[in-house]
Amino acid sequence: MKKLKATKIGNNHYQVDLRGWMCPYPKYAIEILLEKLPSASCMDLLVDCPAATKDVPEVIKSRCCNVQEVIPISDGEWRIRVNK
Amino acid sequence: MESKTVIDNTSRKGRKVYLEQSLKEVGVRLFQEPWPLGAGALALTITNLFMFIYARALGVFPQMAMWGSWLYNLIGLKTESPFIPYPVKPPYLDMHSLLDIGIIFGALEASLLAREFKIRREDGQGYLFGALGGILMGLGTVLMPPCNVGGFWVATMAFSLSGPLAAIGLLLGAYVGGKILQGHIHRALLKVDFTQALEGEAVPPRSVSLQPQNGILVFILIVILAIVYHRLGMLKNAGLFLFGVLFGVIIQRSRLCFVAAFREILVSRDGKVMKWVLASMAVGALGFALLKGQGYQPQHMVFPAGWHNIVGGFIFGIGMVLAGGCGLGILVRSGEGYTRSWVACLTAMLTSGAWVHLYGQKVGQGWLYGKPVYLPEALGWGGALIFVYGFLLLFYLFILWVEAGKYEKA
Repeated sequence: MKKLKATKIGNNHYQVDLRGWMCPYPKYAIEILLEKLPSASCMDLLVDCPAATKDVPEVIKSRCCNVQEVIPISDGEWRIRVNK
Repeated sequence: MESKTVIDNTSRKGRKVYLEQSLKEVGVRLFQEPWPLGAGALALTITNLFMFIYARALGVFPQMAMWGSWLYNLIGLKTESPFIPYPVKPPYLDMHSLLDIGIIFGALEASLLAREFKIRREDGQGYLFGALGGILMGLGTVLMPPCNVGGFWVATMAFSLSGPLAAIGLLLGAYVGGKILQGHIHRALLKVDFTQALEGEAVPPRSVSLQPQNGILVFILIVILAIVYHRLGMLKNAGLFLFGVLFGVIIQRSRLCFVAAFREILVSRDGKVMKWVLASMAVGALGFALLKGQGYQPQHMVFPAGWHNIVGGFIFGIGMVLAGGCGLGILVRSGEGYTRSWVACLTAMLTSGAWVHLYGQKVGQGWLYGKPVYLPEALGWGGALIFVYGFLLLFYLFILWVEAGKYEKA
């Protein structure tokens, strides 16, 4: 089974690569990741499932965190930046 | 979307700029930005009614089962197709198969135009889930029958008792499947620790590609194929192929997912998608009533009703979640480049295509199946309308009750 990991890409700024995990995995993953993410941190979530660009921000907002941006980074791939 | 350029309305140039901007905005909204879910649900139900008027309503699995039987026959294993109206023939000569092929082409075209196409590979477990999901759907489709969209969405609108019964099984099966996927991702996240994270490089955005141009090429290919079928005298093949393309575009653009509709009610206490599906059914059922009430194909999409709807729905429900799409979903996702869906399509057609060999009879025949129940025959039109709209209302209230539990917890 693929193991996921967080990468530190800046000060209090992390990246989790969920590319290859089709929907609804990203929607279920974000709930756990938000719990684990330290406060006052920023996380880039990389996804390649179109529905995740809608589902994941909805979960983030429902957990009172902030979706900074959802941008395409390549064909069929997006970066969702979240602030906690 | 607001126009950014100030239009000079005193000259001919202003008119040209306005036209160009308006067309560009329409193009962006239709082919680049995702459609609102409600727009997708209503477009789907209206297109389905148009296709019913043209030839048939939406259903994708029986023809996929036929492809399985066709493949067995190709390698010398003689068997018959499990669904009576779908005898074995090469898919490219079968109008129902052309509908499915059109769905793949439509999703491919729409995803390319929006730069959303990608060959999405999986690891071994992903493919195992895809294969298992396909096998369960292949078994579920012959038991239920036929699939999530045909057996629940269309069947209910077409006043078949089997539709609401299938919904019970699908709902429970999707819950079980959703819990399996949730457990899978939770295990994969166990070792994620932000405080121990190693430093690494951010993945940078890459430059744009030629996908939209390729999308236009696929569109041209679609038109050529439709013209070829028309010229060969196979008008319905061409027509259903084009309807399939429309369905593929609608589902790809709106992200409308019948699997998510069932799965998220109990897994996330979120019935947003199913509410739109129910709204689309409320509109569509009226159309079916008007057509069928006038004697137009009254038995169309009326399936055997009995315990097998619930059991078949349950098996199909688990399978569609593991595979990442129901029959319609895996066709659309195959077009978008999901390799798990390719595996699911293959195992689904090989499982359902072997049904006559395993069971000895076709779908609807023998001890396993109940008799088809067409509600207007059983209850009269008044009773049938009350039954179907009552079911939609009850389902809606059930969703509200489940969603309310989230706030009780909070």
